[in-house]
Amino acid sequence: MPGRDSGDRESSGRPSGPWDPGLQIERTTLAWSRTALAFVVGAAVFIRLLVRADIVLATVCAALTLPLVVIITRLAWRRHRQDERSLRSGAPLSDGALPASLAVLTVLVGGIGLTYVLVN
Amino acid sequence: MGSADSETEPRRRPYRVYREGSEPDPRFTLANERTFLAWLRTALALMAGGVGIEALNAAQGETGPLRTLLAVVLLVGGILCSMTAFVRWAVTERALRTGSALPAPRLAPVLGYGLAVIGIFACILVLVAGV
Repeated sequence: MPGRDSGDRESSGRPSGPWDPGLQIERTTLAWSRTALAFVVGAAVFIRLLVRADIVLATVCAALTLPLVVIITRLAWRRHRQDERSLRSGAPLSDGALPASLAVLTVLVGGIGLTYVLVN
Repeated sequence: MGSADSETEPRRRPYRVYREGSEPDPRFTLANERTFLAWLRTALALMAGGVGIEALNAAQGETGPLRTLLAVVLLVGGILCSMTAFVRWAVTERALRTGSALPAPRLAPVLGYGLAVIGIFACILVLVAGV
């Protein structure tokens, strides 16, 4: 995990912005982690349920979910590092591509859940 | 900060969010992102509730139509929540960039009252029908 730079006053040559003491980026990355964890917990419960109905489907779900959550977490940390750099250089923050992907994924998860309920 | 995107910047997506206005205070952009993620977690919690109720069906070995209805309502609510979460993120980000008013939290009262109704419904189900 990347550590937070405490010496940004020196590295950027200007006083730290007001966002820095508020640990804005760290809080945002933690929010990403919480969301990823929510995915894991939800998936674990759902897969446990699915095992009774269809073991093959459950295995496929598990095999898809785990790498996906790892990828999301890694991308969130990459975003963290990029945003830290952007704040220091005054560049714009990361765009909405990752949030959009996660929203699509969540809708997909809901669709799978709905299909499960309706088929059962 | 404060300056609009220069031509050298890579194009940021979604374009309709970033095409106008200037870069807002990064704190606001990050707060918007956290709010979006909180909505996604709410959506996931609703979906988990729906699947959890369906698990009761599986555990009882029989399908109660009321339970199925409750599960479907929760799951559809979760899907709706995650769809509006991103739309809301985009509208808010654009409002931050253009300095206009933030969107009204239209889904919040629906979710609040909706969950209250679902809670009452679930209580009745537990007390009368014994789950």
